[in-house]
Amino acid sequence: MIRMQSSWLLESVEELLQVDSVAIPFFHRFSALNWLSHLEIPLFANFPVDSQAMLARAWFDVDKGPFLDKNLHKFNQLLTQPLNKETNPFEPWLDKFFTRQQIDYIYYWRESAYEIEDYSQREIFWSAVYQVMSYWLTNKKYRTEVFFEPDKIMAYYLHYHNEFIRGKQNKVEITSKHLSELEAKECSLVLFPLIFDDDTEEDLLQIIYYAWFHGHADIKLAKKEISLALNRYMIPFNAKSDYSKFLELAEKASSAAFCWTGKELAPRIHEQVIAEPIRNVFKTGFSKSKLYMKSVDKTTDTYDYLLVFKK
Amino acid sequence: MPTTFLNLSLILLVVLLTWLAYKYFELHEIVAPYQKRYKHLLSGIASMVDRIEGYNVRHSAEVAKICERLGIAAGLNLMQLQTLKTAAMLHDVGEILLPADVLNPEKPLDPEELFLIRAHPLLGELHLKKDNDICDEVPAIIRWHHERWDGLGYPDNLKGEEIPKSARILALADAISAMSNNRPYRKHQYSGREEILFELESHAGLQFDPELVRLWGKLIRKDLAEEIAEKLKQDDEEVEA
Ligand SMILES: [Fe+2]
Ligand SMILES: [Fe+2]
Repeated sequence: MIRMQSSWLLESVEELLQVDSVAIPFFHRFSALNWLSHLEIPLFANFPVDSQAMLARAWFDVDKGPFLDKNLHKFNQLLTQPLNKETNPFEPWLDKFFTRQQIDYIYYWRESAYEIEDYSQREIFWSAVYQVMSYWLTNKKYRTEVFFEPDKIMAYYLHYHNEFIRGKQNKVEITSKHLSELEAKECSLVLFPLIFDDDTEEDLLQIIYYAWFHGHADIKLAKKEISLALNRYMIPFNAKSDYSKFLELAEKASSAAFCWTGKELAPRIHEQVIAEPIRNVFKTGFSKSKLYMKSVDKTTDTYDYLLVFKK
Repeated sequence: MPTTFLNLSLILLVVLLTWLAYKYFELHEIVAPYQKRYKHLLSGIASMVDRIEGYNVRHSAEVAKICERLGIAAGLNLMQLQTLKTAAMLHDVGEILLPADVLNPEKPLDPEELFLIRAHPLLGELHLKKDNDICDEVPAIIRWHHERWDGLGYPDNLKGEEIPKSARILALADAISAMSNNRPYRKHQYSGREEILFELESHAGLQFDPELVRLWGKLIRKDLAEEIAEKLKQDDEEVEA
């Protein structure tokens, strides 16, 4: 769970300094960039998982423009015949994740997008599949009635994409690099949204989508590859974590911030288990630090945390 | 001797209980007017915001009522319900700080104005938490009352269960109240509770929490069934008369 709150972050950091550029060395959720992308400051985000990087490009690389009507009419078709099961690589997902009709569509959408000549248009089309999959998985989990035909829900999200990028001018620089290739970026704020391994609905969707993006239905493989890509970023809550790489990545920044969400544990525990070890590592490069907390639900001890450092 | 001791203890216990009851009522007497006053002030602020938004009904109070029904059905405890109702009364308070022309519901907005409008949950949160106890959830619930279940809302693009339940309830209640009232920016005006329910059900899993929509459906169908039963009873009585 990442409850990244850009405005809270900026408002807290601004107590210490004026933020004029933000770098996020690793990120795992494209949509959480939204608020920052509205501000007219240079923004850099690295997504170690390639399918997530593609989603980020589709929704935040504003030069790509909206999905064109001509492509919508040509590629978002209603299937009148069931597709050939033998060639459909997503058959193993039948009933486990998706219905017969949905399996046909995710196969059709993946393949037909190859016919879209413009690569960025293709990515927008594929990114809408992520939203549609998310909707279908919700429907399945909550046993809700599906009101829209697949082509209608696809059009709904392509239209939503269009609305989402309307008026956005700030181009976000998006990369998809492995930790070993990453270098410290010169910026006023470097941000680390902490990732915990906690098996959420969103995690399952990302795994399914990753497999689909790579053209196979092997969930185990997808999970393994995602974990590998996120390897050093994933925080083992109870074990000792190595934050020295984080410090290296923050070397050229005037300030650094960590954000995370905690449930079922008192803030004091979070301070001890997460904030203190980070502080111990970061005190060599940053002289000031402050931990902010926000109560989300006291009955479940859910809090959002923000740990800010300044040089 | 032991009987006397027992009697004495019993008398002492009765005295103690009476004293405690007296203290409780005394405290209640002191606190109750403050609670009432606080409630009235809250609804005064809420109705100001309703006016700014162009509602000619008590929208915020209506949202708080719907929140209460949904919250009880969703199993929130008393403390959570209290917090949720306060957040509902103040959910759009951030709009007070916006320029009047962006709030004109008949005016089409350009992207910059839209961005400004979308800052109202943040402005609300920011100002409410300024001089407030760090552990109050009301500002956080207000911050997330425009998030969508599918992660495409604002301001933080939280998704599904990442959005606190109270904020999901508030988002749904806000939509129900808005749909129940005529809004100038909307081409289609809803004919009644059934049509609103259909709209909510078709957007479950997109904009709204599917579980909450289901709960609301149950409540509304129960209301409708009870109203029909009541009507039939009245008709029968009229025929008999
Ligand atoms: Fe609002
Ligand atoms: Fe409202």
